[in-house]
Amino acid sequence: MEGIVLALFVCLVLAIITKYLSIPPIPFYIIGGVLLGKSGFALVTSDEISRFFAQMGLIFLLFFMGLELNLKRIAANRSAVLTSGFIDLNVNMLIGFVAAYMFGFSIIESLVIASAFYISSTAMAITSLIENRKLMMREAESVIWLMVFEDLVLIIILAVISAGDQNPLLFLLKIVGVLAILYAIAHYGKEFLISLLDRSDELPILFTFGAVLTTASFSMYLGVPETMMVIALGAALATTDPDAFEQHARPFKDVFLVVFFVFFGITINLSAGVDMTMVLTISLLAVVSKFISGILTGIFIHESALAGIEIWGNTIGRGEFSIALAALYGSPLVATVIAAMVIVTSIVGAFTAKYCTGLRKWMAAPWRRAPHHRGH
Amino acid sequence: MALRSVNLPGVGTKYEFETDKGDIVAIFFTKTGTIQMYTLQQGCHTPSAAEMTPMEARRLGNILTGAIIEAESESVEIAFSALADLRITIHTYLIPKSVAGKTIEDLQIRTKTGVTVIAVSRRDKNIINPIPSFVFETGDAVVVIGETDQLKRFEREVMVD
Repeated sequence: MEGIVLALFVCLVLAIITKYLSIPPIPFYIIGGVLLGKSGFALVTSDEISRFFAQMGLIFLLFFMGLELNLKRIAANRSAVLTSGFIDLNVNMLIGFVAAYMFGFSIIESLVIASAFYISSTAMAITSLIENRKLMMREAESVIWLMVFEDLVLIIILAVISAGDQNPLLFLLKIVGVLAILYAIAHYGKEFLISLLDRSDELPILFTFGAVLTTASFSMYLGVPETMMVIALGAALATTDPDAFEQHARPFKDVFLVVFFVFFGITINLSAGVDMTMVLTISLLAVVSKFISGILTGIFIHESALAGIEIWGNTIGRGEFSIALAALYGSPLVATVIAAMVIVTSIVGAFTAKYCTGLRKWMAAPWRRAPHHRGH
Repeated sequence: MALRSVNLPGVGTKYEFETDKGDIVAIFFTKTGTIQMYTLQQGCHTPSAAEMTPMEARRLGNILTGAIIEAESESVEIAFSALADLRITIHTYLIPKSVAGKTIEDLQIRTKTGVTVIAVSRRDKNIINPIPSFVFETGDAVVVIGETDQLKRFEREVMVD
């Protein structure tokens, strides 16, 4: 218990510093965790309570993500979501997978690394768009929809990796069954849910917490991935009053997620000896491959390679979802590689998000001076 | 003028409209609770942005709806809660015949009443911070700033018919 208190105190200090400097806090929670844990000063070890808290963090992160998934809205923006989404998926998954496989990871391990390599941090991308006042740019909308597409892919990744050696048909049936129950509750209980959320006592928050926990433990009991099901719960409840659910789930997510990040750092084991060249190569490739996918997206969506620089600059940072994949499916070595990649890309990403507009202008300058004036 | 609103997942709601002259104004109500306003002049590539608290956005909204400027004699009180609850009132008046032809200096407005004339509106043209030798005309609308008591004195001693 003292361990969690110490870890949370360190995170509080880190949160204050990073907010003050307006840089993403996630890499610093992990670094803080590494320093506190067995690879650092060995002040904190994970125990039953911290594992529970960390799991809550992961589950609430995914529930929150589900609340943002409005399937109707996504369907209405199909073209915007699909083109850039597929470019991003193919380029980054491929580069990530090949790199991991060449460094000698098994196929499953390479798949986990490639998924973590592919998925950008939604939190960092959106915070950077708001803080750097880029919301009006056309590229900002591409970035936002890209994040939505990545979320959808994450659901599929969670299903594929956790299916394991179960009978695929039975597994699919179970998933469809739980989904049907969730959507039925959201559909037929809509009026009741909305009136419940309107109350000003403890009921709404108790219901939110209970619903997420019940879904998670019921899924575990059935043997379907609880991570995927809490996303589905979020998506189902988003058809009632998503803003109210967000408001009630936010405190749980904010606190537990920090515990999740710091204890992820604490459990990282560097004593096994990590090939620094490999870790750095993968981290740098993670920056480069988003550049390639960004430029391609710029060309295909905005008819300008330079627009791709803006997309690249805001999507470099890998974060919460990469760490989630590492915590769920990563061996100690895989978790270390992903942690290093998150730290490198999120710090590089914080800078590129601030300066990529300037970089883009600088690169556009020779074009403007050229005699053939471009219309754009 | 076409207004469109989009709900951006994770960000909030975006309202965007294009003026008849081709300028674009976009407003974002973000989930963090702040409001960002962007304006993009036609032919420009980089928008300028302003971030506002909900309170500031409402004030801007009041200005844009013309609540302040529409009436000819109208006052707005601004309270700066961070500055020991400093309260300042801005009031508009129509210049009466008795004042026409006189300058700000002649009337000794600041010495006698404490208020300051910050703008004069004359036939759709605005003069900001008029100089002491500025001569009033009938029909001018003046904007003065001061405390409530100072404004009352200004009404009693200067704005008399």
